[in-house]
Amino acid sequence: MADVLSVGVNLEAFAQAISAIQALRSSVSRVFDCLKDGMRNKETLEGREKAFIAHFQDNLHSVNRDLNELERLSNLVGKPSENHPLHNSGLLSLDPVQDKTPLYSQLLQAYKWSNKLQYHAGLASGLLNQQSLKRSANQMGVSAKRRPKAQPTTLVLPPQYVDDVISRIDRMFPEMTIHLSRPNGTSAMLLVTLGKVLKVIVVMRSLFIDRTIVKGYNENVYTEDGKLDIWSKSNYQVFQKVTDHATTALLHYQLPQMPDVVVRSFMTWLRSYIKLFQAPCQRCGKFLQDGLPPTWRDFRTLEAFHDTCRQ
Amino acid sequence: MGVTCVSQMPVAEGKSVQQTVELLTRKLEMLGAEKQGTFCVDCETYHTAASTLGSQGQAGKLMYVMHNSEYPLSCFALFENGPCLVADTNFDVLMVKLKGFFQSAKASKIETRGTRYQYCDFLVKVGTVTMGPSARGISVEVEYGPCVVASDCWSLLLEFLQSFLGSHTPGAPAVFGSRHDAVYSPADTMVQYMELFNKIRKQQQILWMGRDLERTSSLSCNFSQYPT
Repeated sequence: MADVLSVGVNLEAFAQAISAIQALRSSVSRVFDCLKDGMRNKETLEGREKAFIAHFQDNLHSVNRDLNELERLSNLVGKPSENHPLHNSGLLSLDPVQDKTPLYSQLLQAYKWSNKLQYHAGLASGLLNQQSLKRSANQMGVSAKRRPKAQPTTLVLPPQYVDDVISRIDRMFPEMTIHLSRPNGTSAMLLVTLGKVLKVIVVMRSLFIDRTIVKGYNENVYTEDGKLDIWSKSNYQVFQKVTDHATTALLHYQLPQMPDVVVRSFMTWLRSYIKLFQAPCQRCGKFLQDGLPPTWRDFRTLEAFHDTCRQ
Repeated sequence: MGVTCVSQMPVAEGKSVQQTVELLTRKLEMLGAEKQGTFCVDCETYHTAASTLGSQGQAGKLMYVMHNSEYPLSCFALFENGPCLVADTNFDVLMVKLKGFFQSAKASKIETRGTRYQYCDFLVKVGTVTMGPSARGISVEVEYGPCVVASDCWSLLLEFLQSFLGSHTPGAPAVFGSRHDAVYSPADTMVQYMELFNKIRKQQQILWMGRDLERTSSLSCNFSQYPT
């Protein structure tokens, strides 16, 4: 791969300089030829010496001329540009064996890729900072002095209160049953069964919803030990999609001061999945899109859409 | 076990069974389905032995003993409109011991073999139904894994069936209507297969009867050619 020479190099002068080098080489070799040949055969010794000296001087003059010409041209050629991005490692481009050790081209590609990555990461972080995903009650950027010393009260709630809230929501909807357990410390784990359609495992942190996993009605939600399995994904693509949507929902419904309202709205949203296989998409009217039923439920209107049909 | 629909695909005009199966599988592959091995469903018929009939005075009942490669450790035994028993594979050995009560009907073994395709959450099995050495028809089974209540997802299944069966899409199977909110079970699939096999057997019988009629009518024609 030919590297692009920077503009500072005068290509014409470069070519002329190369031919000047060739001329210089030939005049130097003529000098040595003349010395090797020695004196020509002439009548008198003086004549021979004079002829020899004259010839020698001519050759030396031509060498001088060529050398001056070369110096003049080399000044015209100019220097290659200084702003080489790789500094010394740019000299790797002089390696003639490009096939076996393509170091220079790979190096250039790696640099371009990392520059692009940095640029994109900067853009992404700017966009993400606009949508704050922090769910604590603290304000962002409040100095340490003004921040309250105690933790916000909504994070340390008595477990009895959590139990009460959950049992109240359990009684709200007839087709949804919620079973609460605390196998790992104080954080509650809910097993929500929605009709005969799906089962949801909700991991909570006091009254905030931390994670959800959605599985099919006939799938096993317990590990071999009999404990609730909170890590393995569903075997079906439709429920993997619904799990992603549920995670989006738990990030959407946020109200740090009133977490029980949040849990109630999340459960209302989840309940709309009772008709997961029966409701057609509100936008395209069909049941299937790429083999999936409408898995998206709008956060405000609870209408069913395909993942690719939602606005 | 998800909701399953078993139906028969009629053989295309002017084509053999093999060619129709190939057409179907090509359509499935164009849809994006992936091949995932093979399957086999077979059925043997037994009828109650004559010795037991006399004492009770009932007509002989037919019992079907079926196997499904999807459940390799199980054996299904069902009566036509009666209950379906799900047992393990030792049931076959038991049937040998019960030779006095149930006798195997002659040339009754019917089976369907073919390939399994997976498309998203759908499992599609296209098989050739054979009685003895010859192919008699094509069976198409579609299972939608995530749903376990039949009445919920029939419209969804119908849309999927239409996408690759086109005009040959079947109506809702009878088992769907009878069990409204009950969880779907493998026994329901076997009932559907039994109905399919019986339908194909009847079609075959009608074909044979028709051929016999033709032969006898051609004989009588020949007879009338010779003047008395």
